[in-house]
Amino acid sequence: MLSNAVILILQETLEAALLISVLAAVCYLHRFRFGWLCWGVVLGIALASLYASQLQVVSEWFDYVGQEVINASLQAAVSILLVVLYLVLPRSPGNRSTAIPHPANRGNRVSLLTAMAIVMLTITREGSEIVLYLGGLIRQGDHIEAVLIGSSLGFGIGLSIGVLMFYGLLGLPARWVVRVTSFLLALFSGNMLSQAAMQLIQADWLPASQPVWDSSDLVSEHTVMGQLLYALVGYEATPPAWYVAAYVTGFLGVAAAIALRRANREALV
Amino acid sequence: MNFRVFPACIVLLVATTASAATPVVEIEIRDHLFYPDVVEIPANTKVKLLIRNLDPTPEEFESYELNREKVIAGNSETVVFIGPLPAGEYPFFGEFFPKTAQGKVVAK
Repeated sequence: MLSNAVILILQETLEAALLISVLAAVCYLHRFRFGWLCWGVVLGIALASLYASQLQVVSEWFDYVGQEVINASLQAAVSILLVVLYLVLPRSPGNRSTAIPHPANRGNRVSLLTAMAIVMLTITREGSEIVLYLGGLIRQGDHIEAVLIGSSLGFGIGLSIGVLMFYGLLGLPARWVVRVTSFLLALFSGNMLSQAAMQLIQADWLPASQPVWDSSDLVSEHTVMGQLLYALVGYEATPPAWYVAAYVTGFLGVAAAIALRRANREALV
Repeated sequence: MNFRVFPACIVLLVATTASAATPVVEIEIRDHLFYPDVVEIPANTKVKLLIRNLDPTPEEFESYELNREKVIAGNSETVVFIGPLPAGEYPFFGEFFPKTAQGKVVAK
């Protein structure tokens, strides 16, 4: 029970922790306060609990594919909000030495709200599974201690990887940090949109297709590496066509927003 | 020929063939085990899995090979579409109780 709990909670925590840490690094560079992050987490946990409590009702919507439709909506919304974020972010200082977290806070309200909404929606989806899993086991009443210890370990490891990612990113040379965070958030956008597509295929709202490639011999999703790559870049060993198309669209969406920013900035200079 | 009726007929025809062409396969979850644990389906055909969770605890139907994951609340049922799949074996498991909840889809 203990190892199951570690793995399950870690899987659910990792994706959210990685996304939030990259987002936090971006906001740190823009000298935003971290209050938005806390609000995103609190609202996310509240929505996750609500979603988990209503899962059975939601499940029955749209002829038993309500869960897929809601999950796809949450994921697509995160992908779109990442594009919006890059459209509304004020100009980045891009220099760590000038990025002091506490004093100046001139970030505009829309960027903060967008970042908060991304955190909130990410936690809603990942968190609802944790709430359901723990709720079910606690109600069953067996091995509660093992489950709680395992969950704390899994959560702790996920959180630690997120914190390492945050400081790792801020430790990069100044001219690299903006590029790397932008690239990672573009990957996350692709990842989220492709997962949304996968949910809609599962619901039979998008047509299924044969896998575009099969890399399960190279990196199996059953391995730790496969799971890490899944959390970080949305790795699938046997992706269907819609998955790949959605991934490319999500990635290019953020890339286009960044290009637009750059063009605007040059026009201003 | 009434041309306004024509599209409606086509929609009806497509809807009827779609529902008739999708076979339904039932799976039960009891005591964190899948019944049956080997699910035979026709190859190259879309199949509707009707999964009934008879346990009071939720379970997550998950398969890397099928690219599927779905949480099923305790004492409830749900639907997961799979395929069309080439002939072969596709393992699945219950992510919340993976030690016992194991099974596979065999497409023939």
